[in-house]
Amino acid sequence: MKKMKLTPRRAADHILTYTLLLVMSLVFLFPCLWLILASLSKTGSLYDFKGFFPSAFSLQTFIDLFTDDVNGLYPYKTWFFNTLYVAVCSALLGTVLVLLTAYVMSRFRFNGRDTIKKTTLVLGMFPGFMGMTAVYIIMTQLGLINHLESLIFFYAATTPVSYMVQKGYFDSIPAALFEAARLDGATNLEVFLKITLPLSKPMVVYTMLTQFAWPWSDVLLPKLLLKDRNMWTVAVGLFNLPETHFARFAAGSVFIAIPIVILYFCLVKNIVNGLTAGSVKG
Amino acid sequence: MRQKLTDAGHFLRWTPWQVRLSMVVMGLGQLCYGQIVKGLFYLSCLGVFLFYFVTTGFRDLVGFFTLGTREENLWLRIPGDNSLTMLILGLFSIFILIFVAVLYVTNVKDAVYTARQKEKGRAVHKFRDTLRTAADSKFHITALTPPVVGVTIFSILPIVFMICIAFTDLGGDVVYPKLANWSLSPWQKILSLGKIGSTFVKILGWNVAWAVASTALNFVVGLGMALLLNKKNVKGSKFWRAFPILAYAIPGFISMLGFKFMFSQSGPINWYLDQAGLMRIFFLTNDASAKWWARGIGLFVNAWISTPSIMLMTTGLLSNINTDLYEAASLDGASPFQQFKTITLPFVVFSTTPVLISQFVGNFNNFGIFFFLRSGVISNYADYFLASDTDLLINWLYKLSVDNNYYSIGAAISLIIFLITAALSLSVYVRSAAYKQEDTYQ
Repeated sequence: MKKMKLTPRRAADHILTYTLLLVMSLVFLFPCLWLILASLSKTGSLYDFKGFFPSAFSLQTFIDLFTDDVNGLYPYKTWFFNTLYVAVCSALLGTVLVLLTAYVMSRFRFNGRDTIKKTTLVLGMFPGFMGMTAVYIIMTQLGLINHLESLIFFYAATTPVSYMVQKGYFDSIPAALFEAARLDGATNLEVFLKITLPLSKPMVVYTMLTQFAWPWSDVLLPKLLLKDRNMWTVAVGLFNLPETHFARFAAGSVFIAIPIVILYFCLVKNIVNGLTAGSVKG
Repeated sequence: MRQKLTDAGHFLRWTPWQVRLSMVVMGLGQLCYGQIVKGLFYLSCLGVFLFYFVTTGFRDLVGFFTLGTREENLWLRIPGDNSLTMLILGLFSIFILIFVAVLYVTNVKDAVYTARQKEKGRAVHKFRDTLRTAADSKFHITALTPPVVGVTIFSILPIVFMICIAFTDLGGDVVYPKLANWSLSPWQKILSLGKIGSTFVKILGWNVAWAVASTALNFVVGLGMALLLNKKNVKGSKFWRAFPILAYAIPGFISMLGFKFMFSQSGPINWYLDQAGLMRIFFLTNDASAKWWARGIGLFVNAWISTPSIMLMTTGLLSNINTDLYEAASLDGASPFQQFKTITLPFVVFSTTPVLISQFVGNFNNFGIFFFLRSGVISNYADYFLASDTDLLINWLYKLSVDNNYYSIGAAISLIIFLITAALSLSVYVRSAAYKQEDTYQ
């Protein structure tokens, strides 16, 4: 293809395009940059910031985050490990449950399959935390208030409702593979463990990531179920940081956002596929 | 009908005594067939159930209908009935009853199966065989039991509970130690002209306007970004795309809290206004002038958070357009704008309609934005009942039922939200079903 000539019209188009691109990047980058720089500031309170950017920098806020909990008010280290524990456990448990559900719904035809399909469809239409009060009472009855396990149970137990993305993936695996294995005498459990799972690595990774990201950044449920400051997750803790501890908020946010951001950038392809599949199917 | 009766008669005359035992006492038949583990499992289930039902279950079941009969008596130190707990425990006992009934049926079916096997002269299943069946021909039941139990306890039970609560007078003044009753009062309060009713109408109006405005804004900006990055003269589109993805990857609550600090009373933006000699603006505070500022900021922050995902989706769709169409169009002398209008736009709108509607539903129930931006703000200057002028129905629902214990009104509102969401989602479902059959476009 021969090179296009730079006409004034084309030049104007170039300038306009790149201006728009610059504006777009700035709009998205600026708030992130602001938080990152704030986390590196020497002063902690929002009142001491003159404008957007701090005047002096230091790493002290990050050190304080883990060593100085301001008389037990902001024990970030405890929050962090609480969050990690909840997120990892519910990601593992939730992934197992949702994959089992999706696999069965994809490969088996049985009595009650239609009922399950319709029920999950209807369940998805209720406002997310409509049953919050009830969940609180159930957890009280189970003696789980102020225990991190209450969160794990809830996150893991309610995930199978959104099995559609995973089901769509299992549907796309050729049925001949399963039939061949069945003819060789493998049980359905073995087919699931030895054939389906290894073939579905991208989907397993996607599911794990979404199951991990939800507890990692949920505020509502931990706020309701965890009363003790030492039992909080990072999200609840950050939610309760006042303006006088703005730098601490920024540092805490940057610290927990980094792993998620890295994960997203590594897995952006999986996420796009999941997004498109999920959104079209509702 | 008669046929069925005679069939049942045949069945009963045929059944061996072990099956009849199983019909009377769950698990006995299996024990008599020599299936010790299975029999003991059924028997112990029955035992646990009977113990539960005699000790608490029956009382709970009755409590579901009465919602408490004994009021707290401080003088005599008698603890009263708590209607809220009684309602949920009563529901729980109904769920348990259903579960045991299902277990009973499977127990009889299992005994009949073993009897048939014996009639044919085959060996009775040992425990090991049972395990093998569970992993193989009944794998679907084994695999679905844990998810179904979990969803029932933590998702279905709470929702049924809330539906029940919407038809009681629980909440407001009627909380422990007062006793509640079944009634339609929450619906009367919402539909009448009182303070609650007028708040509901106002919030519903803003909620619909918000959903339309934010969906339109997000869609236009997201599509615009996708088209911009797709332009032929853009070099390094992967680099440019990284910025929106960055915004997408940051946990939503961090972005929202960050923006809250940015627009706060002593935040950087107000500092610059101060320096410029202007008045500080009440962006998100509990002030009458904050109404439209807060709504605007809400729209902006929501767009900042959700346009990247729309951009990613539409980028995928754009790559599906047949490029021959564009070549044919430019050969015919169509300008880029005409190409966009006649090829790109119809294609994108057509293929994203389901996405659009689910985005609309998501925005209609967008809890996070105003929860994080204006947490704790209650507009008391106007006649808002426990709500602020930026609250959506779902925020109001939270303030009513979680913060202020107005259970029954909150539940009634969540049912209304459900009806709206359900109507919209069903239209997505129908459309996407129709969409699958439409291969004619393109």
